[in-house]
Amino acid sequence: MGKKTAIIAEHHNGEISTVTYELLALAKGIQESEAGDICFFILGADTEKPAQTLSTRTGEPVHAVCIPGLAQYNGALYKKALSALFSRTPFDYILAPHSSSGMDYAPALSMALGGSCITGVKDVVRTDGALCFVRSLFGGKLSAKLTTDTGPLVLTLQPGALKAFSPEGKSQGPNQVSNQGTIERSVLDITDDNMVYAGTKASPSEGSDLARADVIVSGGRGIRDAQNYNHIEMLARLFPRSATGGSRPICDYKWIPYSKQVGITGTTVSPKLYIACGISGAPQHVEGMKNAGFIVAVNTDPDAPVFQIADVCIVEDLMEFIPFFIETFKQKRRKKDERNDLGESFLA
Amino acid sequence: MKILVCVKQVMEGESPVRVHDSGKWINPCASARFEMNPFDTYAVEEALQIRENVPGTLVHAVTVGPESSRDTLRRALGMGADEAVHILDTGTGYRPPFLTASWIAAYAGGKGYDLILTGIMSADEMNGQTGPMIAQSLSIPCASAVLYEKPGPDRTHISIEREIEGGARDMFEVKLPCVLTLQTGINAPRYPSLSMVLRARKKEITVIPAGVFVDQEPGLRLHSLYSPQKQRKGILLKGTMEEKAKQLMDILAQKALLT
Ligand SMILES: Cc1cc2nc3c(=O)[nH]c(=O)nc-3n(C[C@H](O)[C@H](O)[C@H](O)COP(=O)(O)OP(=O)(O)OC[C@H]3O[C@@H](n4cnc5c(N)ncnc54)[C@H](O)[C@@H]3O)c2cc1C
Ligand SMILES: Nc1ncnc2c1ncn2[C@@H]1O[C@H](COP(=O)(O)O)[C@@H](O)[C@H]1O
Repeated sequence: MGKKTAIIAEHHNGEISTVTYELLALAKGIQESEAGDICFFILGADTEKPAQTLSTRTGEPVHAVCIPGLAQYNGALYKKALSALFSRTPFDYILAPHSSSGMDYAPALSMALGGSCITGVKDVVRTDGALCFVRSLFGGKLSAKLTTDTGPLVLTLQPGALKAFSPEGKSQGPNQVSNQGTIERSVLDITDDNMVYAGTKASPSEGSDLARADVIVSGGRGIRDAQNYNHIEMLARLFPRSATGGSRPICDYKWIPYSKQVGITGTTVSPKLYIACGISGAPQHVEGMKNAGFIVAVNTDPDAPVFQIADVCIVEDLMEFIPFFIETFKQKRRKKDERNDLGESFLA
Repeated sequence: MKILVCVKQVMEGESPVRVHDSGKWINPCASARFEMNPFDTYAVEEALQIRENVPGTLVHAVTVGPESSRDTLRRALGMGADEAVHILDTGTGYRPPFLTASWIAAYAGGKGYDLILTGIMSADEMNGQTGPMIAQSLSIPCASAVLYEKPGPDRTHISIEREIEGGARDMFEVKLPCVLTLQTGINAPRYPSLSMVLRARKKEITVIPAGVFVDQEPGLRLHSLYSPQKQRKGILLKGTMEEKAKQLMDILAQKALLT
């Protein structure tokens, strides 16, 4: 009998989140080494529409668990429901997103099931006969391969690490597979007074104009002091339709407002050009800007993980490099203007 | 209220990390410097702020690690913690968060802590597992990525806000005792004052060898450690600063990003 893999689908407002399809890519990666069944689990107060979407887009079986009290994510309810489900029907691998909710329930779930847990997984590989899961350490400076002999293994997948699964069977349009997966429906009427949901507050980055800029220049802890943010502002001023941003720590320090924070808990951006200055390139920041058309990184540390995703890598002190670059730019402008002036007088 | 704060010693962010010859863990170089996990400074600060608001509150700090990690407990005492406990682990290899959490839970169980605070993750391992696992071992609730907390007047509940994607916050009423993992920005961690540092130096630290706890299967094995590959075929600019500035200008002009 093959190894069984369960995927806990993430969904918001009736829509399936992209990371859910990335989880399927991870499950298929596991399946390549250890053939076995895959099954989606989807929890919520209203699971019908997302369950339908999942089964038509993936062709995999879906277990829709309707929990009337679960209109919003609630860690206590998730843990209760999932440990009950997986104690009854054991799985070898249980895959969850490394999201605010997955991070919240996965470690406890693994313990409740007497298994192991690996968070922030980026990939699966087979090495020396063992199935290994790859994750980042030290802010992305190192990668580790982890393996386990005691199941079940509960994993959380770093969003954006794998290419989302898309069906190859093109016969029914780009977003459908030929055979819809079966949907099993159940109702679980559980409550938990350990944690009671009391509403949601909007993000301080809502309405930020970052998402509309063509060019974003961002500063990180490498600016070292609030006043040095003016380097970032001056560099941004060279570009039309530009905006300035930053990493989370410099918002935490109140050097810039949270509306300028780029990353998973700030704004996700995809400008034509992103210039990261004094930013190490932690996964939570990178996930918010890696779809930029072109990425330039300035960092004193040649090992900074941001260089793994940059198109142009500049190992320099930003405090020296930025003023220098601005000066070089102005000189070039001046020369160009002189040439233009000359040209015009020639014509006259 | 009785509060336990979990603090971990980590290598300073800008220290170079090198893989040990065995490929099984890291080898701190001679120049490496260590500090309290920056994410944990928020947990210590939050506990101290609760003590300022709730009379009679006690703040204890706990760490799991080698002899040298005791410095991190001194730091917590210097910030103002009342007592410190060192769960001494003399092992030098990889220790999965499951073991760390099991030991902290084994220590904390039955001691009447109303609240256990951790950072959102450790800067070196970035697991985000220890807090939620402590809660599971003790069968108490846990909320992660917390950006606001306020204990209720009757001390049976705590109101919290936890951060979700995009920076929005979900609000919950959580039953005490519970574990909270704190997100950065919840407060501005204080620096220890000189007088506090001197006082902290004289404080007794309780040491518990990890061996006293029930032997448990760690579950996970570290197969290997290595430097990751580049994802984009980026170019590294070479030469003097002048040459680099000029090259960058040319590249941006070529791409019509700066004219
Ligand atoms: C759940 C969760 C959500 C998060 N969400 C976000 C998010 O949305 N956005 C975000 O940014 N972070 C987020 N974080 C935090 C993230 O993990 C990192 O801690 C953060 O991105 C690091 O910011 P940084 O790169 O500015 O600082 P550091 O990691 O400290 O890096 C500073 C860099 O500056 C370099 N440097 C120093 N001096 C100079 C100089 N003079 N010139 C050039 N370079 C220099 C250093 O070499 C270093 O690489 C989140 C974390 C968690 C756990
Ligand atoms: N060795 C340790 N000793 C004490 N607390 C720890 C230790 N490791 C992790 N923690 C706590 O658990 C949090 C999350 O760590 P991690 O699960 O490793 O990402 C940290 O911010 C600490 O508060």
